[in-house]
Amino acid sequence: MRFVLAALLLAAPAAAASPEFEQRARSLIDFYAHPTGSGEPGYGTIAAKLYLREDAEWCSRRLEELLAAGPSGDMFWMFPVTSIAYLDRGQLSDSARRALRNAWKTYAPYRGDTENHFLLYYTCLYLMAQLWPDLPGSEWYTGKPSEANLAEAREWIESWVRLTTRRGQGEYDCTHYIGVYLLPMSYLAAWSNDPAMKKRAEMMLDYLIADYAAENLDGLYVGAHARTDDRQVVEKWAAVASDFGWTLFGLGRPQEPPGGYALYYLLASAYEPPEILKRIATDRSQPYAHYERKRTRNRWRFHDELHGPVYKTTYVRREYAVSSDQGGVLQPIQQHSWDVTWATPDPRGAHNTLFALNPHSSLHELQSYFVFAPDNAIEAVVRSKKTYDSPDKLLGGSPYEKIFQDQDTVIALYDVPRGARFPHVNGFFSKDLAEVREDASGWIFARGGEALIAFRPLQPYQWKPIAGGGRRLFSPYRQNGVVMQVAAASEYPNLEAFARAIRALPLQTRIEPTPRVVFQSLRGQKLEFTYGETPARNGVPLDYGAWPLFGGPFLEAAVDSEALLMKHGSLRRKLDFRRLTVEEFNE
Amino acid sequence: MSPIPILLLAVAAPAAAQYSLYTAMATTKGYVVGAKLLPSGVFRRAPAGEWRQVGHPHPFVFAVDYDPRDPSKVYVAAGNGIIRPSLDEQAWTFLTSADVTEARDVAVDRNGIIYFGHAAGIRVSRDAGTTWKEIGGELPRKFTETIRVDRERPNLLLAGTEDGLYRSEDAGGSWRLAGASGWQLLHIAQSPHDACHWMAATQGGGLFASRDCGRTFENAGEIGVDRSLYDIAFDPRSAERIAICGWGPGVQLSQDGGKTWEARNAGLPRNDVWSVSFDPAKPGRLYASVHEEALYVSDDLGATWRKDSLDGSIVYRMKWIPEGGAR
Repeated sequence: MRFVLAALLLAAPAAAASPEFEQRARSLIDFYAHPTGSGEPGYGTIAAKLYLREDAEWCSRRLEELLAAGPSGDMFWMFPVTSIAYLDRGQLSDSARRALRNAWKTYAPYRGDTENHFLLYYTCLYLMAQLWPDLPGSEWYTGKPSEANLAEAREWIESWVRLTTRRGQGEYDCTHYIGVYLLPMSYLAAWSNDPAMKKRAEMMLDYLIADYAAENLDGLYVGAHARTDDRQVVEKWAAVASDFGWTLFGLGRPQEPPGGYALYYLLASAYEPPEILKRIATDRSQPYAHYERKRTRNRWRFHDELHGPVYKTTYVRREYAVSSDQGGVLQPIQQHSWDVTWATPDPRGAHNTLFALNPHSSLHELQSYFVFAPDNAIEAVVRSKKTYDSPDKLLGGSPYEKIFQDQDTVIALYDVPRGARFPHVNGFFSKDLAEVREDASGWIFARGGEALIAFRPLQPYQWKPIAGGGRRLFSPYRQNGVVMQVAAASEYPNLEAFARAIRALPLQTRIEPTPRVVFQSLRGQKLEFTYGETPARNGVPLDYGAWPLFGGPFLEAAVDSEALLMKHGSLRRKLDFRRLTVEEFNE
Repeated sequence: MSPIPILLLAVAAPAAAQYSLYTAMATTKGYVVGAKLLPSGVFRRAPAGEWRQVGHPHPFVFAVDYDPRDPSKVYVAAGNGIIRPSLDEQAWTFLTSADVTEARDVAVDRNGIIYFGHAAGIRVSRDAGTTWKEIGGELPRKFTETIRVDRERPNLLLAGTEDGLYRSEDAGGSWRLAGASGWQLLHIAQSPHDACHWMAATQGGGLFASRDCGRTFENAGEIGVDRSLYDIAFDPRSAERIAICGWGPGVQLSQDGGKTWEARNAGLPRNDVWSVSFDPAKPGRLYASVHEEALYVSDDLGATWRKDSLDGSIVYRMKWIPEGGAR
């Protein structure tokens, strides 16, 4: 099955050929409404056809077949059938409608254990309780009447908006899960009868899209991620974020075929971002540093606070982005802490990134974030997250990694205790790197697209092959570190000139008793970082206490503000979630 | 796995003192996230032997208890919170709301007051689950895997947290460390013969015991040290007979009140056991849930075992509930 727009996109440069938002939306909906593959059409096709007011009889029949087979998937079942219920608009047969109603009595979805699970679950419960008001508890799988379901759902959704606009998302900036945050907000913006809920959801769409817009590079979601996966961490394009980059802004290329989240987003509000967000998403005329504060997921055990702070730094320019968090296990299993991602004309299949990590898996990590019993926790995780317990993995945070980023310089230090299962550092060196050279100075120089990269391991290493291409830098030292400096190809005549500039930079490194680096960056900053201590720039320690919820040329928000100011040129757009107002003005 | 028979009970109301075995379980063998749920949730085995789902399927149910004044009032600790299932149809009612997730254990006292431990504390309801109050606020660490209420003194609670075992004499108004400091608790049980005899199982710390009504718990020897013990069962017919289970130790039996232990694993497919329970109606009968294998049964106190049912399952907890309660 091929997405029909793939051919269109290939026909001309993306910037010139991108259809307007409505055309993109229509093409994606058409694609789902008229599947050409051999598989049995699912809920997505029913929803798309109902949206287009096509084949109502088939929609009713197919819906009944799917429901008769038995719902499964919990909240991932709830959102497609919720859209079908709202897109019905008199098209479904009484029999199909009864089957749908009955499913919400006889199938009890699990609410899940993550923020996206809860948001999907409660958004759908909210809308269905609104659709079927005044039903007694006996008509709902919850056993609660419609009014109680609605109230419970509303309370959780409102609390999530408050927490997010005060302390950031817990599942922040996910290459995949961006879809399951945009989707519920799109539903509520379209279908909530409550004007306040509708307004709040529209504003959250702005909020979430702004978060992505400031950290995308030609549609690729860059930055430290709460969650990504084994493929997306190296092939940055292969993500739901690519579908939304293309759908919302005409950036990059959607997946082939695009995933269903963008479809359901479009079938509901089809919210088109305002002009200022389009500019933020596409303007890479000047390099910029962008800061965000997020929070950890719920930490059930071993911590005094339920949520810990996450401090993100992202440096973006036309050619590349360098991104990081502060290190540590901020999220379980699928965290990605730092990398450089370079722009590439065609990201499909490209591994346009470079990074390193200490591979880490532990019962402590899993029991911090989940309620797992001790003995089968890791094995249960590995069933679906295959690499979690692998020494050669390229995904996940480590309690033994500490990170300091200043503009396009990253210093990552490691101090892995004796007895740790994986006492080494993995570095990902892509098949798409060019001109890789191991310099006698100890630096490794390479070019990724138009990004020139200098990578300095602090300890000896070996190369190991990676299935799927590229090499893994393996450094079997517990006390370790990496310095990475990136620059644009336009800044130097060639890689050798870049290498000369790097070699000339003052660099002091120490391994014992704890790793330490003092480095004069290419941007003229003196960076000092000792493992376990607050890093300093030009002698001034970083002030984590002053870290903004959003900070940079495009977005501003203070911690606890429940507000966001978007900026581009003289344009301003201010969201105030306490008053539920949106203010646009020129400055 | 073979399907669990879900048969209507077509018999007359059972005689008094008959019990049904309830299991809080999940079928996890071969299951991966996203797949269609295998038989999971609460299942009841009537005296005639057949299993029947109680309420809806659910992937994460961890404990079951009932109101001793009316055994038809059953409460379930589940991922979605505290649930009261209907025993007669596939239906239930969520008793908690969005502010509670990951309920771990539930205990009902002789007056019908419901307590449960959850990922962020302990709650109590004095009105059958209509309203709840958080009572874990004084605990230094909130994660509460197990909660028990003394069957004779309703205000006496024992809570197993991620950092030791805590005791309250005022229904959760205040808490005092009773033992197992620094250890994660996995289960607490009170002897049916002596209300002042308690035992507690831990993750890595072995077994702890109290003979002073739960005021103090001390380590009860080497059994289970460095392993995880998940369940404790007192034989209702013998004050000195106790079974425990865990991963590694499998099933261990003591016939001297916990002084010495003997492995009872011959015939079990592996020594990784989640729960163990004596049948109150059949002397010598013992059930054990072997990880992702099945529920096993022994009629000679674990000397020999045979596979019973629930293939591929994990039974987190077994509970015997008297039949014949009001419906």
